[in-house]
Amino acid sequence: MEFLVSSVWAAGLAIGIAAFGAAIGQGLGLSAAMTGISRNPEAAGKIQVNMLIGLAMIESLCIYALVVALILMYAHPALQSAIKVAFGA
Amino acid sequence: MQDVQKLVDFITTSNWLILLFGGLIGLMMTPAEFALGIVLGGLIVAINFHLLKKTLKTAFCPEVVLEKGRSVVSGALVKYYIRFGISGFIIYLLISKHIVHPLGLLAGLSVVVASMFLATVLELTRLFFKEAV
Repeated sequence: MEFLVSSVWAAGLAIGIAAFGAAIGQGLGLSAAMTGISRNPEAAGKIQVNMLIGLAMIESLCIYALVVALILMYAHPALQSAIKVAFGA
Repeated sequence: MQDVQKLVDFITTSNWLILLFGGLIGLMMTPAEFALGIVLGGLIVAINFHLLKKTLKTAFCPEVVLEKGRSVVSGALVKYYIRFGISGFIIYLLISKHIVHPLGLLAGLSVVVASMFLATVLELTRLFFKEAV
């Protein structure tokens, strides 16, 4: 039973921390890009491209965390045996 | 500017190429569940990348930024979270219903990162050889 509870805790923490970091990173990046474009509109193209790459990178990390969290809850290799031990099914 | 635009075009093209080759190799060498994971994961991130590109191009052109100011950021973030929610739900369905192998899905989701890594390696190689000459 503790195994299942720990898995759910770990999944929640994993996606929570990842989303927190990704949100802060994206907010800072977008805000800085906005300031840059406002100050120098000619550089908008370059800023857009660099921002696109940065945001895609941050998003990938958050998606990885989501997948790990979902694996912990639904596809953990030891999940079936843990359920058998906990509930005797 | 042209160099930077070329980089994004390269990443966009290599996304699809890596997905194609990864999918083919997966189909030939791994079980069907794993190969399906690669293909579906790759599709999710490649489409996400396209939508992100579209959002940024429309929201962050100088006219819109000067006109709307910082509210552009919240608009872009709302679109980002809607997109992220939809892809999260799809990934949830794929994993919880055991439609795909989770490791195959992880490999598929790495398509965009692999493209960026490839682009970085090529740029560094070009820079290194330019300096050597």
